[in-house]
Amino acid sequence: MDLTGAFSTGFAVNLEADPTVFLGQRPLAAVSRASGKGASVKVGPGSFELRASLRTKLLAAFLVIQVLLVSVGVIGLLSLREADQRANQVVALQHKIEAYRQMQHDTLRELYGVSTALAFPNETTLAVALRQINQFGYDLDRVSFVAKDEVALLNQLRQEYARFIAVVSHIVDLIHNGRTAEANRSELAELGPLADKLERLTNQLVNRAEADMVAGVDVSRQTYAKSQILVGAVALASFVLTLVLGHAISRSVINPVGVIHHGLNRIAAGDFTQRIAVPNRDELGELAAHVNSTCEELQQLYRSLEEASRHKSQFLANMSHELRTPLNAILGFSELLLDGIYGNPPEKMRSAVERIQRNGRHLLGLINDVLDLSKIEAGQLRLSLADYSVEELVSAVYTSVEPLAAEKNLDLCIAVPAGLPPARGDERRLAQALFNLVGNAIKFTDAGQVRIEVEAKEDSYIFSVRDTGPGVDEAEQTKIFQEFQQVDNSITKAKGGAGLGLAIVKRIVEMHGGRIWIESRLGHGATFSFLVPARLEQQAMQA
Amino acid sequence: MSKRVLVVEDQEDNRQILRDLLANAGYEMIEAQNGEEALIAVQSQNPDLILMDIQLPVLDGYEATRRIKAQPDLRHIPIIVVTSYALSGDEERARAAGCDAYVAKPYSARRLLETINRYLT
Repeated sequence: MDLTGAFSTGFAVNLEADPTVFLGQRPLAAVSRASGKGASVKVGPGSFELRASLRTKLLAAFLVIQVLLVSVGVIGLLSLREADQRANQVVALQHKIEAYRQMQHDTLRELYGVSTALAFPNETTLAVALRQINQFGYDLDRVSFVAKDEVALLNQLRQEYARFIAVVSHIVDLIHNGRTAEANRSELAELGPLADKLERLTNQLVNRAEADMVAGVDVSRQTYAKSQILVGAVALASFVLTLVLGHAISRSVINPVGVIHHGLNRIAAGDFTQRIAVPNRDELGELAAHVNSTCEELQQLYRSLEEASRHKSQFLANMSHELRTPLNAILGFSELLLDGIYGNPPEKMRSAVERIQRNGRHLLGLINDVLDLSKIEAGQLRLSLADYSVEELVSAVYTSVEPLAAEKNLDLCIAVPAGLPPARGDERRLAQALFNLVGNAIKFTDAGQVRIEVEAKEDSYIFSVRDTGPGVDEAEQTKIFQEFQQVDNSITKAKGGAGLGLAIVKRIVEMHGGRIWIESRLGHGATFSFLVPARLEQQAMQA
Repeated sequence: MSKRVLVVEDQEDNRQILRDLLANAGYEMIEAQNGEEALIAVQSQNPDLILMDIQLPVLDGYEATRRIKAQPDLRHIPIIVVTSYALSGDEERARAAGCDAYVAKPYSARRLLETINRYLT
């Protein structure tokens, strides 16, 4: 493997890319802003949803449920009140009937009292009969109190009792005066029929009250059944309505939230092409629209950034190619001069031409680094995977850096386990990575040793370069893998370099799906290591 | 009689380097500045070897190589392709076009001469 050729000669730009591309570009800012604001946000075609805010929707739903609950309560209260009224009516009828019965009872007792007085006419029996008369006053008052509605019958009753009382008084008078026979006649002729008539009248009243009571009980039974059905139906309806409303509300909230969530996940994953379709005309719809417009702006921004980055890389690639062309001529002619093609140069001239050569090669190396990095960044660098031998790779790097180490009197050695199975990866790129690390180690180490080690670990190989150089400060260790970063001290300034070597190594290692790290202490040397998969297959490769 | 090398190269400075190099090594150099001129020169001058640059105006080195290798009476002429970008599969492309060898730019004059000598001695 010709490593000097591969690295010092480097990797020129792909000239098939149109060199005018960069110059012919529109200003980026104009591109990104122009269409960014006008981004109309789609709210979805089916805008059947109510134009109501989420708050209004929730309030309306709770209000409807509340109204249903209140109506169930009101209906229940009305039914209760009706039932109470019916019960009162029944009680009133009961009182009525009692009063009528009392009246009948007292009439019978009066008849009995009169009969007793007739049979045994003495002061006692007469007093009983007379006292009984007074009772009718109470009875009539009570009846007229409980049966205010029965005016006609009551008046009749009152008249009949007046007559009854008059007859009884008359008979008592007769008995008192010893005219028992006359009293007896009067009782048979007047009092009996009158009592019968009274009983008929009160019976009539009782019957009517009883009929009213039965009717009232009937009605109240029906009312109860009706209100049962009504309350049941309203309760069922409100239950169903609550379910429907709850479902509708939660659907109109949870679905859009889910959709927005997925949309944000896509954006987070770097997919700016999708738009969220939330048909809601509420806060969630607005949120979705906002996410969409943000996504659009991000997309614009991302595109312009990508474009800018591409242009930068393209520019670097073009530039480095343009720089290489004259450099090729410089190196070519100086080599011919040194080879004595134009005649043997005098010693002083040879020394000067050698300096031209050395500086030219150094410049070429820097240009190649810039080109490499810009190609990697522009995504133009593809790994070409093939089987390779780790041992051969290391020894090729060894061969190409040996003269550099010898020049500085450094002890360069390698430690590779024997009999490693063939690895798979981009051999040339990995060799370039190792070459850069070893080159750096030699560059920064003034005395001592540079050691290349390989360790096989599970499915990976770890390549390490150990030196006895100045080491790297802990604070600097994280920065040195970035582009254009060099440990800022007098030593590195003296050594020169663009600070691209480590950045390139890092990119190459990462393209292999591996990682790179440094172990070092200031003044105690440094060990740079990178780990790559032993066998990198196409599908596992990072773009 | 000295061997004849056809150099297809559009850059005058590069041609001058090769002129000096090849003359010093005892070869006769025929020049072409693009692929089309190369095709004509191959027919009329009958070179012993072709040194073909890839980036050429009018007709690029891949296509010129392909056309030369497509002709039975010219197929035997060895073609060394000079690639300027040793990246993204141009070696494979050069091989696919039918070249016999390739060197990457910037080449070391010494090494290029070694490659040429291999085919002409």
